[in-house]
Amino acid sequence: MRILGACKVSKEGVIVNNESKTELLASSDDWKKELYSSLKIDYPKFHKMDALAKMAFLSFQYLEQVIETDRFQDDEIAMLFANTYSSYDTDQKYLESYTVKGSPSPSLFVYTLPNILTGELSIFKKWYGENIFFIHENFDPEFFIDQINFYLSKGAKACLCGWVDAANENEECLLFMVDNTTGEITKDELLNYYKQ
Amino acid sequence: MSDLKETLKEQIIEQLNLEDLTPADIQNEISLFGDEGLGLDSIDALEFIVLLEQHYGIKIEDPSEGKEIFQSVDSLAAYIEKNR
Amino acid sequence: MKIHVTGYGLISSIGYGADDSIQSLRNEKTGIERGRLAHSKKYNVGAIHLSNSELKKRYNLSTDGSRTALLGMVAAKQAFEGHALLDDVRTGLISGTSVGGMDISEAEYKKYLDQDGHNPDNYKHHSSGVGSEQIAQELGISEFINTISTACSSATNAIMMGARMIRNGSLDRVIVGGTDGLTAFTIAGFKSLMIFDDEWCKPFDESRKGLNLGEGAGYIVLESDKSISITKKEPLAVLSGWSNASDAFHQTASSPDGHGAQLSMEEALNVAGLSARDIDYINAHGTATPNNDLSESQAIKGIFGDNIPPFSSTKSYTGHTLAASGGIEAVFAILAIRNGYLYPNLNFNKAIEETGLIPQQSFEENRTVKHVLSNSFGFGGNNSTIILSAV
Repeated sequence: MRILGACKVSKEGVIVNNESKTELLASSDDWKKELYSSLKIDYPKFHKMDALAKMAFLSFQYLEQVIETDRFQDDEIAMLFANTYSSYDTDQKYLESYTVKGSPSPSLFVYTLPNILTGELSIFKKWYGENIFFIHENFDPEFFIDQINFYLSKGAKACLCGWVDAANENEECLLFMVDNTTGEITKDELLNYYKQ
Repeated sequence: MSDLKETLKEQIIEQLNLEDLTPADIQNEISLFGDEGLGLDSIDALEFIVLLEQHYGIKIEDPSEGKEIFQSVDSLAAYIEKNR
Repeated sequence: MKIHVTGYGLISSIGYGADDSIQSLRNEKTGIERGRLAHSKKYNVGAIHLSNSELKKRYNLSTDGSRTALLGMVAAKQAFEGHALLDDVRTGLISGTSVGGMDISEAEYKKYLDQDGHNPDNYKHHSSGVGSEQIAQELGISEFINTISTACSSATNAIMMGARMIRNGSLDRVIVGGTDGLTAFTIAGFKSLMIFDDEWCKPFDESRKGLNLGEGAGYIVLESDKSISITKKEPLAVLSGWSNASDAFHQTASSPDGHGAQLSMEEALNVAGLSARDIDYINAHGTATPNNDLSESQAIKGIFGDNIPPFSSTKSYTGHTLAASGGIEAVFAILAIRNGYLYPNLNFNKAIEETGLIPQQSFEENRTVKHVLSNSFGFGGNNSTIILSAV
């Protein structure tokens, strides 16, 4: 397997394949909206997404600038995601909708699962491959490598992977994509992408 | 009526958690549902039902009625004017 | 290798076992009626008229648990009756549930609000996994226990997971299915989605308005070749196909063209090595919501073309039992195969305009039913299909 590309988005900016793309103000609370506007795409569903789905969506847009994902069939790309805090950020907002605002919000409720973000990407790309979302204590590169190997051995041609987390004012998102070409990925390689 | 429409836009943003948007982003006549306009869906239609009940005391029992009512800010405002 | 079915058990509003369930199906006697409890009295529901303590007493249950767990114990014990735990047969339980021990948490929370003998210890029943542990304890199973919660496709996914574990040699025998008790939480939740029919649900009818909720549990026992060579149990049916496919459309709604449902049926046929014309009866998901029945009809047409086998939704009898439905309907499928039954779809009057499909409308027996396809579709486009076949 081989890494086709990696993209990290956060309010510090966007880094694609170890190269910094955009500088954003660290203080900007609207950083996801700013990135969306700068991308000049028209996908109104974006505004309804929760923080996790928004970050994954944005990061994926940058990845698609460097990876031609359409060369794979719609069921050849597996998705493998993980984070620490599950959907905690949206859970809090949902809780507030009925404890403070008086009525449980259906449109928040649908995001009270972290794997909704894999659904959003599937809907955006019309992908029908395998997808899974794990809850882990920390970003675990070895786990990703094992799982990617598993998917590729079971027939997937590529794997879109991500670590997307939002909790306690901390928002981070790393997406990377690998295909089944001969080669090896090391733990350090993934750690470098994560830490950059 | 135009005041009502402005208020409605604020309420839509609040109710549907569209924190990215401002009232100026929502035009009176654009379609709220479907892939154009705001891209809202059947779950959001439920939010409109809650909104009408909470803010205007209007109850909609059959969600299929919502389709026409929730089409745009214009149609929503006209329905509220007629029914409140 | 074949996946043999060697046991089944179920409980729902139309019967506490296979015999009385069939009697209700035969007599077109629905279990759906106006609810009798505080949280259900405004709605038509498929409720089981036994309280938790009555369930425990009547079925001699030695393990405590929520309504979901107790119903699960009743059906799983029925399925496992005549089976014994053996050292060299690795036996597991995979159980689906959507609501877990919510009924106990609701009662406990009310005590907290009323400041009336609140005991936080009782929340231990809340988690979905606890119920599965309790069911396993009642059966004496400890080798492998797992819980699947994928909304309305939970039991079908549990059946699929069991089949795959047997096929890859991780288990020799496994009890698979699902259970869900009716709670205020589920009733309020579905009410807020505005997909209730205030009257009796009308699956596949043009004027269908929505679903009726029900409660119950259904399990089947799956065994490998090696396992039945030891247990000497008689195979009652074969689980020949299974699949799960995503819709890539919406968090809750199904796509109007039923793409995910079609993928799921197609792959289950592939796994079974069957073609569409081999299917003798379809037990449809058929919730009677405007969205599901249209989407499922389109998918059925996509797979079966002009040769659509008899199909029906038995949810017009049991109500939608959510995570249990795939288990209960798997038992109905086995009974259909063993006795040549076709089940009627109640309350049907006029075909859906876009698709024109007409479901089975009368109870029939002595038909040749070799292969039954059973659908279960969960929120989020989590679409699953299993195929049960004659031995």
